[in-house]
Formats: sequence, structure tokens, C-alpha cells
Amino acid sequence: MAHLSPHGEELVNQFRTFRPQYEELLHQVDSRLRKVLHEQGVELNAIESRVKSEESFIGKLERKGEKYQSLEDITDLVGFRIITFFTDDVDKVAAIVKNLFVVNWEESVDKRKLHELTSFGYNSLHYICNLKEGPLSRIPFEIQMRTALQHVWSAIEHDIGYKGAVKLPPEFRRQFSRLAGMLELADDEFSRLRITMADYRRQIKALVKNGQLDDVPLSTDSFRSFLELHPFERLNQRIAAVNQAEIFPVSLMPFLRILESFNIQTLGDVQRFIDDNSEDAYQLALSHLAVTDLDILSETIGLQYLSLVHVLKNGGGRAGLCMIYDTINGASEANMALADWMLEQAKTLPFMQKK
Amino acid sequence: MKTTFKEENGNFVMYFEGRLDTAAAPNVEQEMKVLYESEGHDIILDCTQLDYISSSGLRLFLSLLKIAKPKGSHVFITGLNDDLRQVFAMTGFINLFEFK
Repeated sequence: MAHLSPHGEELVNQFRTFRPQYEELLHQVDSRLRKVLHEQGVELNAIESRVKSEESFIGKLERKGEKYQSLEDITDLVGFRIITFFTDDVDKVAAIVKNLFVVNWEESVDKRKLHELTSFGYNSLHYICNLKEGPLSRIPFEIQMRTALQHVWSAIEHDIGYKGAVKLPPEFRRQFSRLAGMLELADDEFSRLRITMADYRRQIKALVKNGQLDDVPLSTDSFRSFLELHPFERLNQRIAAVNQAEIFPVSLMPFLRILESFNIQTLGDVQRFIDDNSEDAYQLALSHLAVTDLDILSETIGLQYLSLVHVLKNGGGRAGLCMIYDTINGASEANMALADWMLEQAKTLPFMQKK
Repeated sequence: MKTTFKEENGNFVMYFEGRLDTAAAPNVEQEMKVLYESEGHDIILDCTQLDYISSSGLRLFLSLLKIAKPKGSHVFITGLNDDLRQVFAMTGFINLFEFK
């Protein structure tokens, strides 16, 4: 502490004494933040927190020790950084912080608004807060809120030393400016994309709910919404009844690729695929399962037999059947043997005779 | 019905021999519990010498999958003969396991 005044040394001694209280405050604020942000469904990139290290505290006193009368004047001894994915979420987090704690508006800064039109860089929201009540409520703490891209910007800026003592020539400042603008634009575009995608999902859900299936293109999102209607349940239950089997729940999403390979374009096409093939899929499943006592089946069972029947009825033959197994289970020579077995089993069924 | 457990090249390997039917399932279930502590290991179920699998056997494999997957372990099945592979195909479980 060679460079500190007696007052500075006294502050360092106090800092050591109060350190356990800072740690306790850190713990209390951290757990409340995490709990509420989780409850509010805010997806975060990270929450960082720390009590200022003694080394860093002394450094601060060396630089501007005269400014501080007491420890309470130093507002970042306990600090948090909440990093969101989307720029809209920074405001949402800020609103939550405002509700949870007492914000000292005189000390808090919205650096996003401090921007001059021609300036660039470090966009971030800093709130100086106190607990609303309790013995620790006299100790201020700082919460920084920013997006992941702003965080990256800040880290790079720090690493490059842009804010160092040496004034940079204009061409470097211009390069910084261009990069900062690009990141800000990217942040805005990600937010816009999220809003657009959420709208799209809502529209798809509404169309599915209203039964306007022909208007809904087949996609990961739309197929997921369609599955909420349990379109394969009737066929599954019919097949399960053969051996009074239980249905083991699994995801049906891996079959989306198979439906796409059938050139199915809309959810209306998927519904017709079910309607046109259900009876034959049941007959094929029956021919397999009735001679066994297998009483546990995958939830994909109906969709699997529908796909097999679709291939057989459309002349896909051995190669088509093999493609199904290759798609859902990875390519393997054994899939050829399965395809041969399936062809053999199916050839006596009525739908194969009609061809 | 006989099972043998080995740790080979960092993998948990269980060899199955005989008929995994309803009568054998309770014992095999106990023997398979050694595979449940699979953090950091993949699991290989070697069925080269397995002659038959019933629904009870399938349930044991499915239970193992449910426990092992959240631990980051892959469950591979090797050496299935054509008859057994057909059982996995006709019950729809063929896409749940990784076959080698």
C-alpha cells in the first residue's frame, strides 16, 4: 500500500473487514436474480458476478482515491454482469432489476443513450442498486446488462486497448466505428428475426388449429405443431391393440426427413398420406405382430408403417424400403436384409395385389 | 441366459448369450445395473450370441437407454442376427439404438 494516503489505507482495512458481508450480498443478489430471471423465462448467455479483488480495489484508490469519503461511495465493490442473447431482453432484464432492487438513478447510466450520433462502441446499461431491506441494504452493488455481442465488443475493445492513453489516428477510429455499427446492426437483426419467427410460429399454430392444413408448408416448426394434434394416435392404438401393447413415448421428428423425401409439401399432404395409407399400414403391422407376443411398441410405430406402405404402393421396392431404414438408423448393409424381409412379408397383402 | 460384463477400450461392454425372455429378465436386469454408472463411457450391448429377445428384454434395453442418454453415453447394439433385428424393426425401436 506504498502509494496510498493514510485515508486510503484506512479504506483498505475497512474493505478487508467488510469483505464477508460483500460475499453474502453477492450470494443473496445472485440467487434472487437467477430465480426471477428463470421464472420470467429470460434466456441468458451468462450471469457473471464478483466481489472486487483487493488488488483491483487498491488500484482504484491509487487512481482516484481522493474522490471517495467512505466505502459506500464506491459502487462497484459487488458487481454483476447479465449477458442476454437479444437486445430486447436487456430492457426486460432492466425492468426486472428495477422491480427487485432499489435503483440509484443518479449513479446509474444508460450508455446506450449517451451515444452521440458519431460515436460508437461500448453500449451497456449500468444500474447502481441496493437491497430493498435488511442489514445489507446500505451496501451498493452494480449490475451491468448487455447483449452477448456488446460483451464481445467490450472484451475486444479492452484487449486492443482502444481506450488507452495514446490517441488513435482517425483511420483506426473509423475502422472501430464500422465494426461497432456492424455489431449493433447484427444485434438489431437478431432481435427482428426472433420476432418474425415467433409471429410465423403463431400463424402456423393458428392454421393447424383451424384445420387449414393445405396452407401450411411442411417444416420442422409446422410438423411439431401438427404433432400436438396427435395425428398418428388412432393408428398407433389400433396397432397396439393387436397384442394389447403399451406405447413407448419417443420423438417422431426423425421421420420428418422421410416425409420430405416423399416430396410431401404441406401438412395437408401429410394428412392425406395418413388417410390414404392407414388401413394398409395397419394390415402390414398386423401381419408382423400378430404372430408374436411383443407388447411394447415405439410411438413411431404408425408413422413407420405408413412410410413403408407409401414406398411399397409407389413402387419404391427394396431400395425405397432400405432408404427408410438408412434415414432413421444410419446406412448399413443389414438394412438391405430388413428391406428384403419386409418385401417378402408384404407381398401377400391386398394393397400389393392391386398394383 | 448368461451375461458377461467387461470394460474394453473405455467402453462398458455387456455380452448376452442365450434367450432373453420373461423368465430370464429379472436376473438380467440386476446384472445390467453395472451399466447404469456410465458417465464418461459408451455402452456396447454385444448380442452376437443372443438367440431371442422378448418384450421384457426390449424393456431392459429401453430402460438402460433412458438412464444412459442423459449421462451422455451412447448405447450401441452389435452382432444382432436378422431375426432379432426384425424384432427391433417391427416394434419401431430400430431408430432408438445405434447399431454396429
